Amino acid sequence: MTKNVLDTNAEITWCPGCGNFGILNAFKKAVDKLENKGVNRDSIIISSGIGCHGKIFDYIKLSGLYSIHGRSMATVQGIKIGNPNLKVIAFAGDGDAYGEGIAHMIFAAKRNADITVIVHNNGAYALTTGQFSPTSKKGFKGPSRPEGNIEDPLNPLSLLLEAGATFVARGYSAKMDHLSDLIVEAIMHEGFSVIDVLQPSVVFNNTYKLYNEKAEIIHKPAKNLDGAIKLVKDTKQRMPIGVFYDVRKLVFHKELMGDWNPSQNKMSRNERLKKINEFV
Amino acid sequence: MKKEVLTYIIGGKAGQGTKKAGIVAANFFADLKREVFQMNDYPSLIRGGHNFSVVSTSTSKIYSHYMKADLVVVLDQRSYEIHKDHLVDEGILVFNSDKVKGEGTGIGISSEAKKYDNSDLIEGVAGIAILAVVVGIDKKKLDEIIKKEYGRQIKDNINFSHAIYDSAFEKIKKRFELKQGKKKLVSLSGSEAIGFGAAAAGLDIYFAYPMTPSTPVLHFFANNGKKLGVVTVQPENEIAVANMAIGASFTGARSMVGTSGGGFCLMQEAFSLAGMIESPVLFFLGQRPGPSTGVPTYTEQGELLYSLYPGQGEFPRIVASPGNIEEAFYLTAELLNLVWRFQTPAILLSEKHLTESSMSVSINPNKTNWAQPATHEKGEYNRYKQTGNGISPLLFPPSKRLIKWNSYEHDEQGLTTEDGNLIAKMHDKRRTKLHSLIDYLKKMKTVNIYGDGKPVIFTFGSTTMSVLEALEYGGIKASVIQLVYLQPFPVWELNEHKYRESIVVEQNCTGQLEQLLKDKCEIKPVRSIRQYDGRPFDPQNLAYKIMEVF
Repeated sequence: MTKNVLDTNAEITWCPGCGNFGILNAFKKAVDKLENKGVNRDSIIISSGIGCHGKIFDYIKLSGLYSIHGRSMATVQGIKIGNPNLKVIAFAGDGDAYGEGIAHMIFAAKRNADITVIVHNNGAYALTTGQFSPTSKKGFKGPSRPEGNIEDPLNPLSLLLEAGATFVARGYSAKMDHLSDLIVEAIMHEGFSVIDVLQPSVVFNNTYKLYNEKAEIIHKPAKNLDGAIKLVKDTKQRMPIGVFYDVRKLVFHKELMGDWNPSQNKMSRNERLKKINEFV
Repeated sequence: MKKEVLTYIIGGKAGQGTKKAGIVAANFFADLKREVFQMNDYPSLIRGGHNFSVVSTSTSKIYSHYMKADLVVVLDQRSYEIHKDHLVDEGILVFNSDKVKGEGTGIGISSEAKKYDNSDLIEGVAGIAILAVVVGIDKKKLDEIIKKEYGRQIKDNINFSHAIYDSAFEKIKKRFELKQGKKKLVSLSGSEAIGFGAAAAGLDIYFAYPMTPSTPVLHFFANNGKKLGVVTVQPENEIAVANMAIGASFTGARSMVGTSGGGFCLMQEAFSLAGMIESPVLFFLGQRPGPSTGVPTYTEQGELLYSLYPGQGEFPRIVASPGNIEEAFYLTAELLNLVWRFQTPAILLSEKHLTESSMSVSINPNKTNWAQPATHEKGEYNRYKQTGNGISPLLFPPSKRLIKWNSYEHDEQGLTTEDGNLIAKMHDKRRTKLHSLIDYLKKMKTVNIYGDGKPVIFTFGSTTMSVLEALEYGGIKASVIQLVYLQPFPVWELNEHKYRESIVVEQNCTGQLEQLLKDKCEIKPVRSIRQYDGRPFDPQNLAYKIMEVF
């Protein structure tokens, strides 16, 4: 691989052939494209949860906060409120986003927090050796349920659409250029954006063959919410990838504080003390 | 007792404005430059039940309410039955004759209130009118108070208060004379003091999920944040609260969270995260009786030991607890500065008795400071640079430099590591930081010592107020040693008191402060006075208990 300005000197420890490589390369490419659109690289802030996906934090030379399992979506919302000028991206696994941290996802969508969540959805808890995850299909065999998963999988995108997500997309790690365009669109979207990325795990849930056959790019978002929900559920015969829903709505930090930027336009100490003295 | 204390109790159902009347009375006394202490007792419900507010006032410093009142106003029968025994010998009991059968001065409060909208809520105003009559305040002054304190329906409130005033006038006029004090005072609740303290030290964002008794701080910022330049956020749960606050601190915004025991449990992993990534966040923990849901609207100090080591792993933690409302202001400011100076999480530990009581205070915001953290100047940047004192310079985005805060063990740059050498070095860094913190605390006031009597009374938090008032009431000579800082525990301050005869006073069942004194300093108090019925100590009762020992 050629050396990229976004590379760090961390050793990449994903399994050879892992879908995470596709996401990493798509993201780096997306950063280049964003810079061409005038987004300064220094203002792109990343966070991640814990799991195989989370290692991406060490592999991208961008500032950020390596959070804990299920919380990267909360972390980046805090960063956004602290400084709304920053573009914030939370990487998360399916265990993070749809299990441990699903409340943060639903509420980030509900309040239209201006964040981007990229979910590395491999349908398994891979770093902990392959237990079933919220998106594992029924019958999926893992060490915590050797006879097969007894639960039906969640359809997270349908849930997030209902919760109020304003940008909903699905990508496939093996369609790198397509995914990188989705990432650019998601980050440029003002409001809550989520990309559910189909990410084969070569060891625990190798879905390359399945998605190579089923993945089908759609070129236009649905016209309305019902259409979008229909699209994200239309997975029996095919696996649609692309942007399903893209609407504008006032974002949370603007509702909360207008154009105020807590870390940048801080009230001076004198002014603050003057106000307090008026009270006490 | 030498000082003259006047105590006023107003009791009624939730929704009758008794708490508001207590606060108005406290403000009124403070306006007269009198010292005041006001306590609210209320169950966990919105309408009905039994609420009461007690206000004690004096011309000299007062640290607690008393449960013997000179004036009792009761709006319903239940309040009458409870508070008729709380009257001093010469006291006046005024009851709502429409609802209460009893002895004392009856006034038709409900029948008068019925003439107005919100007839329940308005009844509390009667308590103020009656107080005005008893202490000899004229109607003009009463109008001023009503206008200042009751924002809505001012006209109704004034007309109603006049009617009550007139019917009470001949029966109980000018029974007590109120001497004016000398110092300009303002009555502030513990929650307001905490809010102003944080604002004074440069707070930018307050995150909280509602939970009694920390909620009033959330309301304080929601109501005053715009003016003070503090943003208030109420996320979906305490986990989001803590993680968002940590995220905000990454941008350089000064962040604080507030919660109570159960909510704090949910913040544990984030607390540990803050320790690992060295995020400066202040956690306000307001205690109520536990375990579990416990008794939401009452008071206890049952989380002392719990607060000392929250979160997994080893990292520097700071815990301090204010002993009165004035101190709550300064200590909150101090802690917010400390977390930025040392880039580690701290807990402001308090109790319902402090956060929801009010007290006359004299606060000088200019005495707080706004500590500047160590920040990166120029050249290559390493987030976790080894510096000798364990404190690495901060840098905030956007920046050309790479800023990586990492929950995994990390190298100086902030990248994940599993290298044994680096793991040990980073542990050493955090331990060095703890030592720097202790050295710093040694130069600060970590304990308060009141009085110079021979026997020692150890205490902490809001119980300090009860102890001080009990000593005053009983004329007891003793030294009170209040542990302000509890983590790191200020053993260096306590060594000289090791062999003095001592007792411990605290509001929990198992004697947690006593345990701490034994474990950390080999101090063996001869007696422990504990109260754990959810109610704060009554200084009169506490005085008798202390006198039994000494």
